Amino acid sequence: MKSVWKKVFLTAAIVGLAACEEQQETDLLNQAAGLVLRTDTSAPTRRQNVVPQEELAANPGKYIRINIRDISATDTLVAAGTNGERTTWIGGSGTSVTFENGVIVATRGLPRDLMGADASQTVRAIQSGGGTSVRVHDFLDDQDQITQFTLECTIEVTGAEMVNRFGTGIPAARFEETCRSDGLTLTNVYWMDASRAIIRSLQAVSPDAGYLQIDAF
Amino acid sequence: MRFAILSSVSVLALSVTGQAAAQDALPTYSLYGTPGLLEMPTAQTPDEGTLSATLSYREGLFQTVLSFQLTDRISGSFRYALVDLYDGTATDIDERELERGFDLQIRLIEETDVLPELAFGLRDFLTPGRFQAEYLVATKTFGDSLTATAGLGWGALGQRDGFDNPFSGRSTRPVFDESDPEGQLATDQWFAGDAAFFGGLEYQINEKWGVLAEYSSLSYPEAPNSPAVDGENPYSFGVTYRPNEAIQLTAAALNGNNFAISGSFFLNANDRPSMSGSEPAPVPVRVRSRAERAAPAADISATQQAAIQSALAQAFRAEDLGLVALELDGSTARVRFTNGEFRSNAQAMGRIARILTQALPPQIDTFVLEPVSRGIALSAIRLQRSDIEALENRAGAAETLFDRTAFVDAGPDAGLTDTNAFTPSFNWNFSPYFRLDPFVTTGTFSFDAGVSLNASYRLTPRTGISASIGQSLTRNDGSDPDSDSTPDLQNVRTDSGDYGDDGIPVLQSLALTHYDRPGTDLYSRVSVGYLERMFGGVSTELLWKPVDSPLGLGAELNYVAQRDTDMWFGFGEYDYQVATGHLSAYYDFGNGYHTQVDVGRYLAGDWGATLEVAREYDNGIRIAASVSQTEVSYEDFGNGSYNKGISITLPQDFFTGRASQGTYAARLSTRSSDGGARLSVGGRLYDIVRGAHQADLSDTWGRFWR
Repeated sequence: MKSVWKKVFLTAAIVGLAACEEQQETDLLNQAAGLVLRTDTSAPTRRQNVVPQEELAANPGKYIRINIRDISATDTLVAAGTNGERTTWIGGSGTSVTFENGVIVATRGLPRDLMGADASQTVRAIQSGGGTSVRVHDFLDDQDQITQFTLECTIEVTGAEMVNRFGTGIPAARFEETCRSDGLTLTNVYWMDASRAIIRSLQAVSPDAGYLQIDAF
Repeated sequence: MRFAILSSVSVLALSVTGQAAAQDALPTYSLYGTPGLLEMPTAQTPDEGTLSATLSYREGLFQTVLSFQLTDRISGSFRYALVDLYDGTATDIDERELERGFDLQIRLIEETDVLPELAFGLRDFLTPGRFQAEYLVATKTFGDSLTATAGLGWGALGQRDGFDNPFSGRSTRPVFDESDPEGQLATDQWFAGDAAFFGGLEYQINEKWGVLAEYSSLSYPEAPNSPAVDGENPYSFGVTYRPNEAIQLTAAALNGNNFAISGSFFLNANDRPSMSGSEPAPVPVRVRSRAERAAPAADISATQQAAIQSALAQAFRAEDLGLVALELDGSTARVRFTNGEFRSNAQAMGRIARILTQALPPQIDTFVLEPVSRGIALSAIRLQRSDIEALENRAGAAETLFDRTAFVDAGPDAGLTDTNAFTPSFNWNFSPYFRLDPFVTTGTFSFDAGVSLNASYRLTPRTGISASIGQSLTRNDGSDPDSDSTPDLQNVRTDSGDYGDDGIPVLQSLALTHYDRPGTDLYSRVSVGYLERMFGGVSTELLWKPVDSPLGLGAELNYVAQRDTDMWFGFGEYDYQVATGHLSAYYDFGNGYHTQVDVGRYLAGDWGATLEVAREYDNGIRIAASVSQTEVSYEDFGNGSYNKGISITLPQDFFTGRASQGTYAARLSTRSSDGGARLSVGGRLYDIVRGAHQADLSDTWGRFWR
């Protein structure tokens, strides 16, 4: 509501105000995603993908589900592009998340996007059972400039847990990554299964976008 | 195991501290629309970039004030007041006189544990300044909720129990001579005459509610040309309510027996409600494989290019961008495009670059992007495909790419293949309009609001006809203000109130406009027709603006005749023709400050210059102030002597987060007088060209990868 109030009242208060024409919102994502994914482009407006459990279970590796906790939204993402070690996944709501071996390195379409990151040391530390890393995160600020944070992180195994997936428990190692910089502190949690794949995680995006819970099926 | 996740979540906190800390709480704003108690100023300073609009009312005085914190120390404010004034002999009252004025406040000392915040200010500092006052004020906070203010005022703030001026040798304050020109810096008056103390307390009960008490040194004496407001009792009390950080409402008992209310509305240019925007994700980059890059370049047949161009055009449309033309030449692809969607051309280019990686053959190594507007190409941005591939989603990608990108003038038309053969196109829409004309003569103004039907027809890519028909919803009396304080000048603006006041639809404009590129770094415009409400004729413009230069130079030459007041096709009523035009210099200082100087001949035939200085934020918020001075003597110019104005532009995406080039804009001027009046022709070149040039692209380059 904040922005609406600001808009309504500020504009009402300015004498001689002239509003230029409002652009119409169109269904960009479905068309764009359709182009890339060679899927149907006639889908209706931006909306979270909802994929049935059976479909998720039957197609390992095809879907990722995200839960944007701060705005209580979920979406199911499919892979849309690969760049080296990194894969970008896109959901029906217009959100994309890019992972490097399960670690978030970029988002698009969230309130404050992670524009890009170097998290390769974290990836290596998780693969080797723990360690330290230096991460670099780029955010897009309110003046359309990039604000960069360099984070110092510690990654350690905090125990073994069962991850519930469709009623079945999957044994997983729980990793906790604690990061700190001059202006930013965060804690990520990863659950890694026996095949060394991160099947679930809670990862920070930005102070305004909060944490994403990610389930890789 | 669900439980295990939730419990681990509860200990997570993502926090930002240090330089990115939240904005400080806003100070309370007074009825005068600046940080203050009720009518007294305080030394408190809002965060840089704070923009406020205040409406306040007490009996005899209605104020609308825009205030802007330009830097950490300096704020400026612009006021329209409708005020009851004692007449020249203080025997009668002229009701609801329109007064305009400017305030300035400068912080001298920032508050510390020991020291109070200290500021000085000038209120309504131009002549005649019916509220004119100067002050030195200190404010100290105690704990979280109590602030105390004490100040010393001169002028209107030095009237109650005034004492001899402690600082200045100027013991008497000259009275403004009503025959002197208005709108001058009132330096003779500043800090002259008696001084008086004022002060007060503010207590913030909780986040939303606060109480105020002040001892006012404004006594509103019964004097010629002074506000007819009751200020006998010095004590005033008020309550403030802040439902959220964007709104402050105040109710007050002033001077013992007067009731007052005010509302202040805030935004901060550095605090974008839409954060980084909510546009959907772009198409990801497709990276060529090692084999693809190593393979020998294949010939691209015309059929293949047509297929590629068709696929690209479809992908562009999905982003609401337009693929105008394409050239595939060896290892280079040149793309002409239109962007009617994104405020930031850099963002449009980022999306285009990614689409190109998807559709172009692997031998294409270089992308040259040429933004097009009004049919003319505005610049060429040269990107390496390997950089797009290597930098996607990398830390530091925006800066690295910018350093590796070349910004040059657009290439020739030759070699390009148009996506579609041009077909004439027709567009139309309705829009509301509002217009406030403050006239030269004290106390009158004309307000008009209505609906416009706007239509445009594009004959060729570079030539179009546009028309606007307006229907006023407020005027049908045919007897609007008709005053002329500049009898020696043609009424090029003072008769504005007579135009279209019959209550029937009028032709606001009907013009044919052609744009062109006569040479490297050169842009041209020719407009013919009914160019604006009051003038029709021919307008020509030439602009020199290198893509990588902060400097632009322009020349505009117009020959126009004054239209009939019925605002249809005739010119016979005035039989007035004039050659008018300006040489203009535009300069981008690069730190958010832009300036424009226009020197030339104005509509009434007077020669002079206009200076505009603008503070532009990279997110599109723009606040500009301008002043015109011409050879017309103050006597002929009448009241106002200079034309001054401010304009505010707020981009719609600042609020909505949705991709949009729409803006909310308002222009407020002190006077609409016949001296220093410019032709109001649409589609001037600089505003069309600049957004595709290096300086503007660098302002929003962070959005390239968004």
